[in-house]
Amino acid sequence: MNRLLIILLLQLFPVILMSQGWDTPADKKGKLSPFKFTDETRIVGEKLYLLNCKSCHGNPGKANFINLVPSPGDPATDKIQHNSDGEIFYKVTTGRGPMPSFKNALSSNDIWNIISFLRSFNPKYIQAFQPEIKSAAYPGATINISLLLNKKKDSVIVKLTAISPKIIVPVINAGIKLLAKRTFGMMPVDEDKTSDMKGFAAFKIPKGFRGDTAGNVYFSLRFTDEDKFGAFSKDTVIKAGEITIPQSLVKDRAMWNNVRKAPIWILLTFSLGVMSVWGFIFLVLFKLRDIYIVGEYLDKNPGKEESELK
Amino acid sequence: MTDHDNQQYKDRLEKVASVVLRPVRINNKGFILWMGFLIVAFAACLFAYSIQLRKGLIVTGLRDYTSWGMYIANFVFFVATSLVGMLISCVLGLIGFKWVKPVARIAEIIAIAFAAVAGLVIISDMGRPDRLPYVFMFGRVQSPILWDVTVVTTYFALSLLLWFFPLIPDLAVAKNKLSGRPAFLAKAYEILSFKWVHHEEQYRILHIAVRILLILVVPTAFAIHTVTSWLFAFTPRAGWDSSIFGPYFISGAFVSGTSALLIAMYFFRKNYKFQDYLTDFHFEKLGRVLFLVSIVYLYFNLNEFLVPAYKMKKLDAIHLHELFMGKYALLFWSVQLGGLVIPIIILLIRKMRKPLPLFIISMFVFAASWLKRFIIVVPPQAHPFLPVQNVPAEWHIYSPTLIETAITMASLLLALIIITVLSKLFPVLPVCELAEDEAIADNELLSGIENNSK
Repeated sequence: MNRLLIILLLQLFPVILMSQGWDTPADKKGKLSPFKFTDETRIVGEKLYLLNCKSCHGNPGKANFINLVPSPGDPATDKIQHNSDGEIFYKVTTGRGPMPSFKNALSSNDIWNIISFLRSFNPKYIQAFQPEIKSAAYPGATINISLLLNKKKDSVIVKLTAISPKIIVPVINAGIKLLAKRTFGMMPVDEDKTSDMKGFAAFKIPKGFRGDTAGNVYFSLRFTDEDKFGAFSKDTVIKAGEITIPQSLVKDRAMWNNVRKAPIWILLTFSLGVMSVWGFIFLVLFKLRDIYIVGEYLDKNPGKEESELK
Repeated sequence: MTDHDNQQYKDRLEKVASVVLRPVRINNKGFILWMGFLIVAFAACLFAYSIQLRKGLIVTGLRDYTSWGMYIANFVFFVATSLVGMLISCVLGLIGFKWVKPVARIAEIIAIAFAAVAGLVIISDMGRPDRLPYVFMFGRVQSPILWDVTVVTTYFALSLLLWFFPLIPDLAVAKNKLSGRPAFLAKAYEILSFKWVHHEEQYRILHIAVRILLILVVPTAFAIHTVTSWLFAFTPRAGWDSSIFGPYFISGAFVSGTSALLIAMYFFRKNYKFQDYLTDFHFEKLGRVLFLVSIVYLYFNLNEFLVPAYKMKKLDAIHLHELFMGKYALLFWSVQLGGLVIPIIILLIRKMRKPLPLFIISMFVFAASWLKRFIIVVPPQAHPFLPVQNVPAEWHIYSPTLIETAITMASLLLALIIITVLSKLFPVLPVCELAEDEAIADNELLSGIENNSK
């Protein structure tokens, strides 16, 4: 009886796990998009979705998500649509188990664009969005961010200023992070920083940090506290990296290269080997002709001596 | 002029020619029945191939994990067996063993048939055989596949020439002795004998040509099977990742080749009534050769299996466990014991080196050689480096289909057809060489000594 109970419980275990759900902290549930979902945001969101989400979740509405535990689910179904915007935003940002965190891979705007795309599969959805607040800490002001390389070229200096028609003040104690674009997604540079009393912060650039062929690096500065400062990023290109000329792996002669770029030694060994063996084979074939000539000569001149053959 | 003109030589030539040329006929009942059987069976197997050609390799048991199955195992087996031509005429012939003369041509016939079919077997493993020219159009000299294509072709050409050149004097002798055979045969002999008149100058040219071929064929034959082994050993897969695969394959090739030669010799001795030329003495000698090559092969087997089994690296351990105790255990141990260890022990007994016992032993060794190639090729593929997940059950275990088996049978039938045609249209034993030598007298003397010693 006990054993049966255990088996039953074990059977229920994954169900219990699943039914536990994925709770979003109460303060994040109500988070709203800073912009209104439009056709434009949907198109951007679709592109981002296909790149980042499709591999597990499949095409929305097609139920062609992959077979994992827990199931990723089709985003067009109620499984995902019953979440509030804030809940989806939280889940995409933090991730859980096989679902990765997209905190550094996507900007907040990117995630909102994806949510905009997902909501287009829900006819009942009516968007409530946050009226544009440029900064709760500096009401009425626009925040200006400037990024510069320092003289030693080993740090990116960030300057934050709040500008309103009346005053210009430094933004102090603002949590910020700097991301750099790499081949696969955005990579944090240095640790998260807080702006000082003059609105400055410095991010150290690691030694040998690679830029493009001109040394340019694409940076994105974001606030860690988006509730306070809004979900926007300052994207800019700075010549902060080392000049990197991409080296083709198939540039030099190598075993893995095509036949025109085969190592010399193997080209020589192979072709000389084949040529010499087949050269000898043809030499031997010509011996047949010699045998024939000798035979024909003796046929026509029976009784001739050997010396005359040569 | 030459010793080829004296009366004693001519008498001997007549005697040898009468025996050797007797089976050269294609209008007798036995031949027609046998050839008819081969062709009908071959046609049936070709029908199986036509299905594969239409539907693709899906009709075989080959799937994503085991993509090299029976076909490739069969290919390795054919390449291996063809190596006997080199072993007999070159390794033994160049060293100067006179007794190999009557068996050398049989060995070459086996080499020609098996090397020719080996190339075709590869095509049967191709899903798109129409893309075969791509090997030559886009082949990379860095790839062992191109090396393999090159050396198999070269070895086939060399074997064909090594068979043909010593045949020229025999064709000249035989062209006038073909009464009762179709006229085209005499005509073909006339053309192919290249005006041979047994002149010393012609013999000089022939000897140079054969000498060149004998020297060339040694490195080529070593290359053909070493490269075949590299097709496997150049990958990091457990079970193939071995630095001794070259010599391991070569020594195994000598085992399967020698057993094939013994089977063919026994057949020709019985059916072609060649008891006087393929004597107990030759069987005794080749029995010893089989023992020698088997014990060398056993030594390589010991290295190939004991060394990784002592270390038991993760994937090696899985592979070896499958072979020693898992689902391949029965096959593995029957091949290793029945095809190698037990034959070695039996071959130690003198009485077992007589024609009939050797024929039976060789049948076992030959069959085991085929199965051994299967063990080398198939099981390592069942344990890839990446875990096997979420795939259909039929991908896990490779089992050849009926169509696949029929196509494999076709290759064996084709080899038999080639051997039959060559051995029915042309003399199987070297007429002139046997007459030239005191070989027959020697053998009579030797068998006399043997009989006395008992």
